[in-house]
Amino acid sequence: MSEKNNQDNFDKSLFEFQIADDSASEHIAAPKYSYWGSVFRRFFSNKIAILMLVIAITVVLFAFIQPIFSGYDHMKTPNINNKAMHYIRPFKSTQYIFGTDDKGNSLFDALWSGARNSLFIAIMATLITETIGIIVGMFWGFSKKMDVIMIEVYNVLSNIPTTLIAMILVYTLGGGFWQLIFALSVTSWIGTAYFIRVQVMIIRDREYNLASQCLGTPTWKIILNNILPYLISIIITSVSRDVPSFISYEVALSYMGVGLGQQFASLGQMVQKYSPYMTSAPYLFWIPVITTAVISVSLYIVGQALADASDPRTHMI
Amino acid sequence: MKGYILKRILRSIISVFIVVSIVITMIFTLIPRTKLLDNDQAYKKLTGDTKTAYRLNMYQKLGYLHFARIGEICAESEDPAGCQVNGSEAQKAALKEFEEKDYVIEYFRNKTPYATHDYTIPELIFHFWGNLIKIDNKNFVQKNYIDTGVISTDIEKKYYIGKDDNNFPAILCSGCEYKYQLYFGHGFPFIHQNKIRLNFGISYPTKSGMSTLTVINEGQGSQKAFMQTFPTGLQQESPLKQMTAKFKPNIDHLDSTRFTDNYADCESYYESPSMVNTSYIFGIISLIIAYALGLPAGMGMARNKGGFWDKIGVAFINFIIALPSLALIFFVRQIGATLFGLPDKFPMLGFNNVKSYLAPLFILSLLSLPGLMTWTRRYMIDQSNADYVKFAKAKGLSQREIFTKHILKNAIIPIVNGIPGSIILCISGAFITESAFAIPGMGKMLPDSINKMNNNMVITLAFIFAALSIFSVLLGDLLMTVVDPRIQLQARGGKK
Repeated sequence: MSEKNNQDNFDKSLFEFQIADDSASEHIAAPKYSYWGSVFRRFFSNKIAILMLVIAITVVLFAFIQPIFSGYDHMKTPNINNKAMHYIRPFKSTQYIFGTDDKGNSLFDALWSGARNSLFIAIMATLITETIGIIVGMFWGFSKKMDVIMIEVYNVLSNIPTTLIAMILVYTLGGGFWQLIFALSVTSWIGTAYFIRVQVMIIRDREYNLASQCLGTPTWKIILNNILPYLISIIITSVSRDVPSFISYEVALSYMGVGLGQQFASLGQMVQKYSPYMTSAPYLFWIPVITTAVISVSLYIVGQALADASDPRTHMI
Repeated sequence: MKGYILKRILRSIISVFIVVSIVITMIFTLIPRTKLLDNDQAYKKLTGDTKTAYRLNMYQKLGYLHFARIGEICAESEDPAGCQVNGSEAQKAALKEFEEKDYVIEYFRNKTPYATHDYTIPELIFHFWGNLIKIDNKNFVQKNYIDTGVISTDIEKKYYIGKDDNNFPAILCSGCEYKYQLYFGHGFPFIHQNKIRLNFGISYPTKSGMSTLTVINEGQGSQKAFMQTFPTGLQQESPLKQMTAKFKPNIDHLDSTRFTDNYADCESYYESPSMVNTSYIFGIISLIIAYALGLPAGMGMARNKGGFWDKIGVAFINFIIALPSLALIFFVRQIGATLFGLPDKFPMLGFNNVKSYLAPLFILSLLSLPGLMTWTRRYMIDQSNADYVKFAKAKGLSQREIFTKHILKNAIIPIVNGIPGSIILCISGAFITESAFAIPGMGKMLPDSINKMNNNMVITLAFIFAALSIFSVLLGDLLMTVVDPRIQLQARGGKK
């Protein structure tokens, strides 16, 4: 009785009519999740990664911008006859921060011009390796016919030391910019492709892909929409290993005299050119070596941190 | 199983064949041959026809072309004497014949014609593989020296059992290229033969004229003489290896005081090991160090997963991987030189001083540590989630027992797979380390021969490295089946 009374006592003007909305009932209340937002939140929570990112960006920007302003040309030696300009020690002169070399060229300018070439080679080689590797690997993982042939190709190529292949290619093609990029990427894509193939095989037969296949989705669409997003963290890991390893390869090959020819400046070529001065003018040798190490280590750590952050399993709060 | 192994061996041979054929094609077609003679001092001093003849002769020796002089052109002519006269009909007919066989006819300044034929790619590949294996036979001397008129005396053609210089029985040959065909003793592997030999051509321009295999196999440094008795009974201090006696068409007085026959062309003993052995010494020792440190370190990291030492280990691995190997090598070399007084170049103290080995060995083991540690750790952690570990835990075994007795045995299997590869590939040397320390090994040889344009040496080394790496994978797989009988290689064919 009392309930009925209560109801009657309410002021009806306080209420208004609502239309029953079917779509609203479908809405699931969940915290907002954005993949890339989480990736960056996760990445920027890592203090070492931020530090390394700052170093890497500084070095890369310097390498690509400084040579434009300095206009350094590796083959020009304007100060070669002026003995006073030779072997100026680092930090002794404001014009030549890192000093000058045996021909009176500024080491600072030479360094960045060399770093630009080395970085360019490493980035191009990584780009080519990853693009070809990912595309081939995706279809390799899907197609059984392709698998039969590709496995044989992989068995032959993967067993032969990369250094050997690169050395012989550079030797026969001649030392040049694109020749070196070709030599570095010509066989390394198959490693990436194999890696992707295995990953594709693992997720290819999951239920959601089977469902897509049953519904008649074309293979390329399954690859692009269903599988590729799954592989982002794996691809980033692979890229983060490739860039430093290609820099390392370039430096090693040029040091042994089978990389870039003398007409191009590069970090490896500098290490090779200045190694006789190790005792008489050690800064000439150590500055390029240390720069190489800084570039490699910073890029590697940034890449690893990004790869960790891009794995959705780490996004759980 | 036997069928499978046979199939794998066949496949490996085909792989080596393809790879080396590609290398040969590339080297012979892409490298301008005119550059090869740039560093030849003898060639630079020559002028005129002798220069042309020297160049063509060199190209023929290096396998680029076939060079036919007037003698060879006229050899098949119906009128050999008339053919020798420049401009005669008989010569014209002989030249026409050569032109039809794809030869290019050119003339020396004195109007004497010569013919050259550049080998095509299939011919180049065929030449290499056709000449690769040389089997010594008792008609060798007859064919190469007596028939061509180098020597006139006859030689008995036979195999016989004799004694080598250790008084062990040995199979000897008269009429072959090598006198001692099969003999025992004289160090590893204790059975030696000279019957079947690999022939990769000659080295040029460094060590000009020597067989490439001899260059990498022969000792280095100065010759080592010791007291030995020669077949004539002469006792003398000499560095000669009598067991490598090769047929020498013209023996001199010194030879005849030592040897009773024409087999007098011997290799020598040297103070320092050969290139292969140098790389091997460094490789094996650094490998032992790497395994001795890497396995326990990886195991320790797996046991304390997520702990302090694990984090330190992971940081160490990442650091070594990220640091360019060249930078690492120079850092260690510099630290060794300044803090410990170690030489920064190997030849400074040479082979007989322990100090010259320390820094390269440290670097080589440091470079192979991260891989070993990562995989050991990975396999151990993967295994520690297996059911049998939970069962062992439930039965009350201690953590230590589980790790050393159960997990390790299973985790070691994939690591065993890599062991033959690492051992065999020690021969290939470490390219950068050997270059940085100027160690006279195989690793330094490849960049050196590339820089000197020693084509045959590059092909030889490419063949050796490719064959070693491909066969070591096969050996690794076989070793894995020995360690773990559960593994069936045949079924692995379709590891999907």
